[in-house]
Amino acid sequence: MADKLAARAELVKLARALGTTQDEVEFTTPLGADGIRELRERVVGALYDEHRAAFRRVAVITRTLPMSVNVRITLRAFPPLLAARIAGEMAPERAAELANRLPVEYLAEGCVHLDPRRAAPLISRLDPDRVLAVVAELVDRGDFVTLGRMLDAASSELLAHLAAAISDEALLRIGSYAESGPQLTRAIGVLTPERLRGIVHTAITGPTDLCAAGLSMIVRLDDALRGRLAEYAASASDEVLTAVLHTALEEGAVGELLSAVTAMGEQSRRRVANLPALNDEPTRSRLEAAAANLGLLPCLTALATLRDC
Amino acid sequence: MRSDVRDKLQAFLGDDLTLVEALPDEGLTRLCTALETAWRGQARALAAASDEAVQQMPAPLRGTIGKILGR
Repeated sequence: MADKLAARAELVKLARALGTTQDEVEFTTPLGADGIRELRERVVGALYDEHRAAFRRVAVITRTLPMSVNVRITLRAFPPLLAARIAGEMAPERAAELANRLPVEYLAEGCVHLDPRRAAPLISRLDPDRVLAVVAELVDRGDFVTLGRMLDAASSELLAHLAAAISDEALLRIGSYAESGPQLTRAIGVLTPERLRGIVHTAITGPTDLCAAGLSMIVRLDDALRGRLAEYAASASDEVLTAVLHTALEEGAVGELLSAVTAMGEQSRRRVANLPALNDEPTRSRLEAAAANLGLLPCLTALATLRDC
Repeated sequence: MRSDVRDKLQAFLGDDLTLVEALPDEGLTRLCTALETAWRGQARALAAASDEAVQQMPAPLRGTIGKILGR
């Protein structure tokens, strides 16, 4: 239903995997979000499996040394890039024991280089306080791609702590890069209604990129949670809803917008359908063209039936 | 798809290239270049990190650790 924002997020992640810029991987756009994601997973596999034997040998050596010695050697000799690759080859319990004794800044840098396929067993074994500190460090760095990956690896208990500790804005930006919709739903679903209202307010009244992140996030939630958040959004002023409409048009997020509107109750959908902005012919034409392009004209037609004559 | 590009892509992505067949030839060539560049960049970064690690090791361990890390 919605693909453009998801494809953009995937381009960012593919660029990260290839160590290049988003512009340099734009040529993969024809593959769509799912195709770019699959390509990224294969790229990650190819790059991370290279040199693996050497890292595995180092990991074997760490088994023979006391943990205090491993900590000393790691901090003295291994930059985070190398430590992350070695940690990926260690038993998760052992890697977590080591990681729990390393400085937060070192761990945050290591998270950037950790093999995404091996992150979950390690992160789930770290001390929650340590993870929260690393998350705060990565938020400070604005590294939401790594955080989106970490979200996938977090246990339900950790998700609750994380979601409560992170600002609305950071949560929205992380959500737009989250790997798994169900995991994102779990993270957001544990928040109180007041917090959820606050997040929606932050998204729809924030700058364009934050609003787009919100649209990108909401479409990945399950139907029930998407409906709740969409209802909160529907209570905003005409001015705010009009700004969201224009953001969706400008950012290629009409699919996400219609997904959110469709999840609203009838009263809210009626309110949206009667936004004065939809009386504006150029705006309506752009919306119809975008919806037609996505095969979503039936959604728009259904909405139009709720317009007061 | 050019055979040299196909060979290189298969070396990185595996035999089944159905996933990227939707890309035009130019895109496939760019993908190939991006993968080679990433591969070389990673090799350089790991080599630099390994050298740094070996330098930090106590002298008696340098040879062994260097060999393990392929330096």
